[in-house]
Amino acid sequence: MAIEVRNIVKKFGAFAALDGVDLKVASGELLALLGPSGSGKTTLLRIIAGLDWPDSGEVTFDGEDALARGAGERGVGFVFQHYALFRHMTVFENVAFGLRVQPRAVRKNEASIRARVKELLDLVQLDWLSDRYPSQLSGGQRQRIALARALAIEPRILLLDEPFGALDAKVRKELRQWLRSLHSEINMTSIFVTHDQEEALEVANRVVVMDKGRIEQIGTPGEVYDHPATAFVHGFIGESIVLPVDVRDGGVRLGGKALDIAVNGAAAGASKLFVRRHDMQVGPPGSGALEGAVQRVRTFGPIQRAEVALSADKTVIEIDAPRDRELRAGDLVGLQPRRYRIFAAPE
Amino acid sequence: MTFEMTLQRVRTADPDEVANPLPFYAARDDVRTEPGPVRFVIIAIAVVFLTVFVVLPLVVVFAQAFSKGIGAYFSALSDPEALSAIRLTLWVAAISVGLNLVFGLTAAWAIAKFDFRGKTLLISLIDLPFSVSPVIAGLVFVLLFGAQGYWGPWLQSHNLHVLFAVPGITLATVFVTFPFVARALIPLMQEQGTQEEEAAISLGASGLQTFFRVTLPNIKWGVLYGVLLCNARAMGEFGAVSVVSGHIRGETNTMPLQVEILYNEYQFVAAFAIASLLAMLALITLLAKTILERHLDEGQHSRGN
Repeated sequence: MAIEVRNIVKKFGAFAALDGVDLKVASGELLALLGPSGSGKTTLLRIIAGLDWPDSGEVTFDGEDALARGAGERGVGFVFQHYALFRHMTVFENVAFGLRVQPRAVRKNEASIRARVKELLDLVQLDWLSDRYPSQLSGGQRQRIALARALAIEPRILLLDEPFGALDAKVRKELRQWLRSLHSEINMTSIFVTHDQEEALEVANRVVVMDKGRIEQIGTPGEVYDHPATAFVHGFIGESIVLPVDVRDGGVRLGGKALDIAVNGAAAGASKLFVRRHDMQVGPPGSGALEGAVQRVRTFGPIQRAEVALSADKTVIEIDAPRDRELRAGDLVGLQPRRYRIFAAPE
Repeated sequence: MTFEMTLQRVRTADPDEVANPLPFYAARDDVRTEPGPVRFVIIAIAVVFLTVFVVLPLVVVFAQAFSKGIGAYFSALSDPEALSAIRLTLWVAAISVGLNLVFGLTAAWAIAKFDFRGKTLLISLIDLPFSVSPVIAGLVFVLLFGAQGYWGPWLQSHNLHVLFAVPGITLATVFVTFPFVARALIPLMQEQGTQEEEAAISLGASGLQTFFRVTLPNIKWGVLYGVLLCNARAMGEFGAVSVVSGHIRGETNTMPLQVEILYNEYQFVAAFAIASLLAMLALITLLAKTILERHLDEGQHSRGN
């Protein structure tokens, strides 16, 4: 099922949660809505689900107007952030709920409901929990039951709100991979909301980066990471070093001194230079556009993270360097951005 | 609870405590424990107070009721006027509880699950019967339905009896007891939020299905709790009912009114016999309330994520 969202505006009082959002989701895609809290990502998801209504704009499923239908008629499976399992029902009854409330004309008989629930519990590998109550489950188990419950109604679209938000780090990692493989198994158009960039980049086919009710960039994980469209995306995805620079006369200046890097078409004026921590090449003094003194070094795993005070304007930046050449506090180093972007600084 | 206990354990394990031992009179395992004599005095005050003001009167009620033997007790209760009072009280309580159950559920639903203009006003209005003297509540109905009241002449010309009849007594009781169910449910429903309802709706449930399969099961103990308190107050209400009842013997006297009349006529055994029924109602209510509170607590625990 393809989803199209056109020019959606949603205001809560004076606050614009969504400010003209356009989005196309292809059938079978696994899409992440990524953004900080308050960026409107959950509101967008809820509007697609029919749990909220936009002030203006259109939502279509395969060209059909979705806004004309209520949440229960859209064929959308929704997994809530805190699962929202029915606490007075067993796991089995939770999963069976969507089948039991169907209109009598289309409702399945008890035997086929049981078979379907069993099938879903097998799919999420929790059939042994069917007589438990939600309060007796761990967070990861609740999450999977919530997913099974959403899938019971054979939705055409699966929507997940912060699916891993309330879980601990280890369970999160497992569930991420599990969700990916589940998606490739059932191949249902799926959208999930997250504020965790790693999660979005690792799980989704495409990532929608949102901020302040607007879409900043849509692209594959590789695209949004390697070619951020805006300063916000560059700063939000991946760890970035940000330096205030001045673009003037076809050159880049930091703290009044010219930097030996190309302007790359950036407009003249106050700007910001974005460099990923690991894109800063470390060499002997004089080897790069920047110079600085190492203040502190921490090593973990394959990298060493060094705090370097730049001689140009005394700001301290953090860089990630490979461990082939050990850095020590007090070393003078030259730094050359291998890859960087210059964005105009918003006034 | 668990959190508190953990805290305590952490506190006792504090090395400072070993370095500076607590005063000799403090129990080592609980830093909040008061010295023995203080504890004794505090508990004694509470026990004496409860005995004098609660247990003693209760005992007196039963002692007086049975003072002329069991035979006198039951003949007092089987008196036609007494039976009529009991019947009327049960009727009025049943109707008021029923109405207030519907009203309380609706109000709590509206307040807990929706945002609308005037919500604060509605919440304050629900509390009004708690802050208004029941006598005034009764007088309001006299002003509205009495012979000289706003609607009195119209009612009279249509031969409808509200005041000094069952409808008036019921109205007064409904007014006095309407906060109970709503008050019991509003915090419960607010705490539970709307996610489960949203989940039910997104799974295709209709509004009624959502209410009966998801909302109601989650609040059933709260509903029972509210109904219980509402019922106790409905049966025991004196002030408001006294104003609108007209004290017609065998017709418009509820149990509390009948007790007063008998007492004023020096029929102590009969008065206390009916009073003993009300006292028993209170005891049963108390017991049921304790059981319900335990269920409500359990519900709260199972809700913790």
